[in-house]
Amino acid sequence: MKVKRTNFWLSFKTAIWLGWKIESNWTDPFLFFIYSVIKPITGASIVVIMFSVITHADFSSPMFAYMFIGNTFYQYVAAIMTGVSWAIMDDREHYRTLKYIYTAPVHIPLYLIGRGVARFLTATFAVLILMVFGIFILKIPIQFANVHWGLFLLTMALGAVMLSMIGLLLAGIALNTLRQNFFIGDVVAGSFFLLCGVIYPLDILPNGIRQIGYFIPVTYWIELIRRSFVGNIAQAFPTFTQFSDLQLVLILLGTAVVFGVIGYISFILFDRRAREKGFIDWSTSY
Amino acid sequence: MLDQFSIQTEKLGRVYKLRGAKKGEARSLVALKDIDLTVHRGELFGLLGPNGAGKTTLIKILTTLLSPTSGRAMVAGVDVERYPDKVRPLINMVSGGESSGYGLLTVRDNLWMFSQFYVIPSKEANARIKKLLDIVGLKDKTNIRSSDLSTGLRQKMNIVRGFMTDPDVLFMDEPSLGLDVEASRDVRHFIREWVNQDQRRTLMLTTHYMVEADELCDRVAIINHGQVLACDKPATLKRQLQEHAIFEIEIQENPNLDIAGFKSIRGVNSVTRQEVDSKVSLEFVLKEEAVLADVIGKLTQMQLRIQNLRKREPTLEDVFVRLVGRRMEEEEKNAESSAN
Amino acid sequence: MTVLGRAYPRVVGTQREVSWLLFDVLMPMMGVIGYVLVYKALKAPEDYVGFVVIGGAMIAFWMNVLWSMSSQLYWEKEQGNLALYIISPANLMAILLGMAVGGLVATTIRATFVIVFGSLLFQVHYALTSFWQLGVVFVLCMVALYGMGMMASSMFLLLSREAWHIANLVQEPVSLASGFYFPIKFFPFWVAAVASFIPLTLGLDAIRQLIFASGPTLGFISISLEIWILLGLSIVFVTGARFLLKKMENLAKKEGRLTEARR
Repeated sequence: MKVKRTNFWLSFKTAIWLGWKIESNWTDPFLFFIYSVIKPITGASIVVIMFSVITHADFSSPMFAYMFIGNTFYQYVAAIMTGVSWAIMDDREHYRTLKYIYTAPVHIPLYLIGRGVARFLTATFAVLILMVFGIFILKIPIQFANVHWGLFLLTMALGAVMLSMIGLLLAGIALNTLRQNFFIGDVVAGSFFLLCGVIYPLDILPNGIRQIGYFIPVTYWIELIRRSFVGNIAQAFPTFTQFSDLQLVLILLGTAVVFGVIGYISFILFDRRAREKGFIDWSTSY
Repeated sequence: MLDQFSIQTEKLGRVYKLRGAKKGEARSLVALKDIDLTVHRGELFGLLGPNGAGKTTLIKILTTLLSPTSGRAMVAGVDVERYPDKVRPLINMVSGGESSGYGLLTVRDNLWMFSQFYVIPSKEANARIKKLLDIVGLKDKTNIRSSDLSTGLRQKMNIVRGFMTDPDVLFMDEPSLGLDVEASRDVRHFIREWVNQDQRRTLMLTTHYMVEADELCDRVAIINHGQVLACDKPATLKRQLQEHAIFEIEIQENPNLDIAGFKSIRGVNSVTRQEVDSKVSLEFVLKEEAVLADVIGKLTQMQLRIQNLRKREPTLEDVFVRLVGRRMEEEEKNAESSAN
Repeated sequence: MTVLGRAYPRVVGTQREVSWLLFDVLMPMMGVIGYVLVYKALKAPEDYVGFVVIGGAMIAFWMNVLWSMSSQLYWEKEQGNLALYIISPANLMAILLGMAVGGLVATTIRATFVIVFGSLLFQVHYALTSFWQLGVVFVLCMVALYGMGMMASSMFLLLSREAWHIANLVQEPVSLASGFYFPIKFFPFWVAAVASFIPLTLGLDAIRQLIFASGPTLGFISISLEIWILLGLSIVFVTGARFLLKKMENLAKKEGRLTEARR
């Protein structure tokens, strides 16, 4: 039977299936549940406690809503980017299957993005837990009736694609580097944490460094997420006061397209280099 | 109309740059040099050579995992370097001696997943998986996690993965590695049948087991140090040696034994020594049978008592020795010590 | 000799592939900068910036213990090396210590970089009250921490991929409970008391009291008491590690878990 050329949908769908199987591979589902709840809450709690120590637990402050929502939705940034790039390391170094994936008629970029979807799903669970924690325990002033759901869904969709493409760029780098550098997704996510106004307004950053944040789509993505939930509070901060929601969406779209093109082309080039150097079935641990 | 050739290489070369080479050390490694090969459709083709000969490098290039540094390679009529996406639906690959696979998935899940990458409908895929698992003796392990399988069984699972997609060209890199004797025999039998069933199918396998290549392959290429030394049917290659006479003489280990002394006898093409228990087996490739008398005379001179003498038909090992001057194990040892 | 032997590939590896510098130094620095900027956005007192810098440096040791020691036996099992270590005459504790010592090269560089760069960048002011007490606190903290790491690694002998999950799971809670970025005095007493079983909690608290002007007022308990507790923890963890490693090794042998590679 003649095998058809690469089927994009099957590459993507099967990769999602595999990614979920790997992510949910816990011998103890209870432990998985604890992990899914404890990890995001304790991670976010560091910032909450820092805030609490300085402001004597003034959680009604607009600054708290700003920090908490940014910190919560930042989970997606790390999860999607590392999910996509980590698949290279996992398949090549751990499961030793990358060469078979490459030999098969798989659309590799879509396969990698599909592997990232599982991380997106686990991040969604973490985000939900945190938002429930924030709204009901810490009393962040979010009213469901005032949430701009349309803006939120559009922003999430654009963000998922944008972060996937950045993840693809990182996957290309991972393909050409050591196993020990599996932190590459975390490094970039960490940079965005600093530069994109996740837990503090961009104005805190020194001039020069602040400008970098304006070029990164994550900055606008986080801002739009905040506006979806606490529009008036978000707009009170000076950084983007002069921009309307629509303007921010368009800026997000523009920057996302640029990063998307860079991400995809970079991956193709890195991929080619990996084949020239014989890195596809490389094993590098020490 | 189908292409006559499944695999074609033209002056194919691959050079690796060596990182961290110190002054005086080589900075590059020539893994393949000017490889010209053609494999016909429907052929079971063997690549035979010692470890480090370049067999795996060649397979990697042909399966689009590695770019050549010179020349070109075509698989199923498609340039592997320029159009890898067109090649991949037509090929598959199995590597021996490793336990790749997703341990957390069952045998069936692992195989099904790869079938999806080859766009095989689930129903068809499951039917093929079931049939092939039965053939390789893994039927009762279908729903077992692959991490619970032994290395040999995992290798069988990978073999099924290779055949399951029914490729036009299948590459098998040391497929018997990791398998026991019986399993190796079963796999060889299956490989032969698979190729015979459909003239569209071509299989290229690499091995350093002479017997495997001799038994299975329609044609064999002997490769060493990145170059093809000979390429023909096993019978034809061996027949080239049949003009010579090959004798095996067993003697007791003795300090008087001097191999160089035999090589000086006119008509002795080569003599190699093997040790089995406390006995020494000397293999003589003679220009003609009459030279045997001189050899026996020499043995008597050295006061070596013959315990066993027999005439042997030439094997691919003999062909290799003729081409390289050493047995394959010796060549591998030599390559290792050069590397160190 | 075992310690040096096992440390060797780590040290050589860090020299042969230096790209780790980018990730092992840059990444923690980014975390430090992020939290410092949070305090600046909240207009926190200056010493809090110093707390973050020191906390960021100490996290390096925690990560080394967690990933380069505790869960390392799991990775060794995956690679097929664990069986080789077990059948050798080498002591498992020595092997673990060797792994940690090897990783210590990178860890020390990382911690030093964070302190020096962080202090210069954010103009942190120190007010060291006792150098020898600082030395004692640091050494005891490390001994107790690495002892705890060895105890944890014995657990990983029995585990498969859960080892990775568990290591991942405890990373943040320990960062939170140990007060890497804030004084634990602000926790309810019993929360801080329980967290004190983690050596870094009291270690960090004592270090802060010794090197920052506002340290003593923000300390949980007195420095001398913290030193005694750290000494006690050191003895308990190191002894416990020795006992548990042997016990778990025997258990793993019985259950056939020493050589499984559930890839």
